[in-house]
Amino acid sequence: MADNQVSVVVTELTDNTFDEFVNGNKIAVIDCWAPWCGPCRRMTPIMEELSTELKGTAGVAKLNVDNSPAISVRFGIRAIPTLLIFKEGVLVDTLVGLRTKEDILEYIETM
Amino acid sequence: MIADVVIIGCGPAGLQAGIHSARKKADTVIIGKIGNSALHGAHIENYFGIGGMTDGSVLLKKGLEQALSFGCRHIDLDVIGAAEDGDGFRITVESGEDIVCRSVVIATGISRMKLGIPGEKEFLGKGVSYCAECDCNFYKGLRVAMIGNGSKAAVSAELMTKYASTVYWIDSGISADGSLVDRAREAGVKIIAGIPEKIIGGKNVETLLLSDGSAIEADGIFIELGGRSSSDLAMDLGVMPKADDSIKINNRCETSVERVFACGDVTGRPWQLAKAVGEGAVAGLNAADAAKGAP
Repeated sequence: MADNQVSVVVTELTDNTFDEFVNGNKIAVIDCWAPWCGPCRRMTPIMEELSTELKGTAGVAKLNVDNSPAISVRFGIRAIPTLLIFKEGVLVDTLVGLRTKEDILEYIETM
Repeated sequence: MIADVVIIGCGPAGLQAGIHSARKKADTVIIGKIGNSALHGAHIENYFGIGGMTDGSVLLKKGLEQALSFGCRHIDLDVIGAAEDGDGFRITVESGEDIVCRSVVIATGISRMKLGIPGEKEFLGKGVSYCAECDCNFYKGLRVAMIGNGSKAAVSAELMTKYASTVYWIDSGISADGSLVDRAREAGVKIIAGIPEKIIGGKNVETLLLSDGSAIEADGIFIELGGRSSSDLAMDLGVMPKADDSIKINNRCETSVERVFACGDVTGRPWQLAKAVGEGAVAGLNAADAAKGAP
């Protein structure tokens, strides 16, 4: 990694902090993941970059489905990685599978 | 088994890497089935020195013979796992055998993931999954159907028996090694002959229809085609693939991990025979040097 790049730690949500985050951001992008999932680990650097690039536009966070099963059940998550996208606290879309940063940025721009 | 260089993949990139590695006097093992190469079913007309249309399978067969004549060994199986092992790497094949080596060349080509049947796209994340390793936990006590004939489906079916109440494995011409099939069967996997035709359901997947008209009730459909994917193998070895599944290399075909090289379609476009062979030569030479401690 180049010296001028700083790794950003993406906010990690739990079953208890999820709603507050979703309601506290005009747009919220939440990456549902688990450490034993290869494609999820590949999303990590993408989410880190998005967290910086979307600052002021959208709140970016992660949710470990292993540690927070209630959210998975509530939103019917059956595959990871899954991105939950909220606008004004309402779920507007669910993107399943590994996505490129460009895909996600393009999606957010159209919201 | 011990080797200097293991090449994962038996397409044009892997075979050329083998030829160059063996010519450098490195003890070289090529692992993979030539039938899995994208070149196998293709016709070639834009490759240097070859006039007219040439059948890809003929070229692959000649390439394999050539690699063997230079001293390469060939294991006609899929790789099901890889790991760093001390100062080298440990590569595991379908039969369960490990090959320990100093350098690895990833030349797997690109994996086909999708099956292309109705319902597959609509139910993605609602019962359809391409990663049993990722999603097994969501199917505790549920019924799942595994689709795929290769080693990846066999390994995934066996894994799913630890979570799901019932695991069906749809056999439309299983090509996985017999030992893997036996292990899946012993774990309780029910093998059903048939060709998947359509996935149907309501909010979530409910049924997999087969071409003979039979219906399998399932809460999850796992599509696991071919062998372990290039991305998974790369991650096993500590290399992070790009979001498009390609592996980043430098002009020596080195990846981000020392003594792990990559060549061919797996490094990105253009997916052309000439590029695969060129990179294969570079990767093979450098993998041999690295294994033998040359600078």
